[in-house]
Amino acid sequence: MRLQLRSRCRLPSRGRGRKVGSALVAVAAAVVLTLENPARAQVVQVDTSHTFYHEAPTRSNMTVYTPGVDLAVTPAEWVTIRGGYEADVVSGASVATKAGPAYQAVNPGVDVITTASVKDFRQSPRGGFTLRKGDVAYTASYTYGTENDYRSHSIFVGARTDAYEHNTQFDISYARNFDSVCDRVQAVNDTPPRFRALESSAGCFTDDPLRRRRPLSIDGFQASWTQAWTPTFATQLVYTAQLIDGFQSSPYRSIIVAQGLKAQEHHPDVRVRQALALRFNWYLRPLKVALRVSGRVYRDTWDITSGTGELELERYFAEGLRLAARGRFYKQTGALFWSDDYTGGDAPLGPKGQYFTGDRELSPFWSVAAGLRLTYAIHPTAKPDGGTARLIGIFTDAKLGLSADAMQFSYDEYTLAGTPITNARAYILGLTAGGAF
Amino acid sequence: MRDQKGSRSLLTIAALIALGGLGCVTVKPQQRSVLADPIMQFEGDPQASAQLRHAIDNREGSYGGGGVAGGGCGCN
Repeated sequence: MRLQLRSRCRLPSRGRGRKVGSALVAVAAAVVLTLENPARAQVVQVDTSHTFYHEAPTRSNMTVYTPGVDLAVTPAEWVTIRGGYEADVVSGASVATKAGPAYQAVNPGVDVITTASVKDFRQSPRGGFTLRKGDVAYTASYTYGTENDYRSHSIFVGARTDAYEHNTQFDISYARNFDSVCDRVQAVNDTPPRFRALESSAGCFTDDPLRRRRPLSIDGFQASWTQAWTPTFATQLVYTAQLIDGFQSSPYRSIIVAQGLKAQEHHPDVRVRQALALRFNWYLRPLKVALRVSGRVYRDTWDITSGTGELELERYFAEGLRLAARGRFYKQTGALFWSDDYTGGDAPLGPKGQYFTGDRELSPFWSVAAGLRLTYAIHPTAKPDGGTARLIGIFTDAKLGLSADAMQFSYDEYTLAGTPITNARAYILGLTAGGAF
Repeated sequence: MRDQKGSRSLLTIAALIALGGLGCVTVKPQQRSVLADPIMQFEGDPQASAQLRHAIDNREGSYGGGGVAGGGCGCN
């Protein structure tokens, strides 16, 4: 719950030497200008979130640190202005050349799997606003993303309304991405089975004659219905559709497609994805536990279908302190053009038409995950004289969260030249903090 | 063709009746203390949820159906 300020607001202290994107600076400047004009109702909300992801399956490893900060200012009840920044600091090694067991059997003694070190830094400043009138809220935002080999411009518009005495909420939104992927310039007469993979991101988004930009557009639509049925039971139904058009392969990955011939991964240009999720949120009074159950089904035009089941239990253990335990099961089929070896072998190996991939996320697999989340929220008690109570003299409201999740992946068909991956585990740590003043 | 139109109309009427029926579901404002609690929000911490989803989405072939903030406003 956000508290309203009636006295002068303070700006959040700046991080030591942290550079943020120009868009964020612009939003911060707008916030300063807003705060200079005292309003009757002002709320400033700052949230920061940090996620660490690590996995080290056979022959590869990946560590990603994702810091993020968001600032929201509500100078009047009818408007909220937001600015934020997020980054991905990526390091590790990924599979650069993928082959399957049939090829390895014909070429014993040759290590056909190669890996390449990966280092990347994605930065993503964002800004937006929400306008409210009665029970309806309209939101618009813009996000810019930049990394060594990828550029992204994303716009988002959404509307939300409450109905039936606030027991029902409908939410619709649309997002559009205008993205560019760096790729290698290929020989004029070459066709995909002879395309060569991008060696590195050096020269990307410059005038380098050996680099080119491949467009990628994404249209996304989402609609949701949230319903409170009883004082302790609510549901949410969410439908998502997405149309992706453009270059969707990894430009760095090569696939052995025939004896002695390797080519850059080649995916179809168009993909339409749809997902439907249903969530239940039920407070069990005798146990003082919130039980959350959710299920999701997914299908796309690459013929991947998947199902996801999630279960979460959360309980207060002290004033403001709550602990959640969660579990997740996920299973998907492979893409129509997925094959662990395009050079031949018995089914399900062998060529699958004009497309080929080495992406394990397009292979059939299942995963299980389990995790814990600890949240501590502080709401300072109001002063006896009616003044606003503040934590360490600043915050009217504060929150701290810690989470840890572990995931285990089990690949039905994906191998590295016949060697199955049995140790694909990922560990995800999260830290969040937020405050209002 | 006529059958298709008929079943579509039937579906539309059923949806409208269901939508109108939602008005019968009334949780009064004074009964919403539990629904308004952070423990009952579908997307209690949107930033943390988005980051976790970002990490998971990059390891799976699926996408979408993510949570939407809400669940109870505790308002009048």
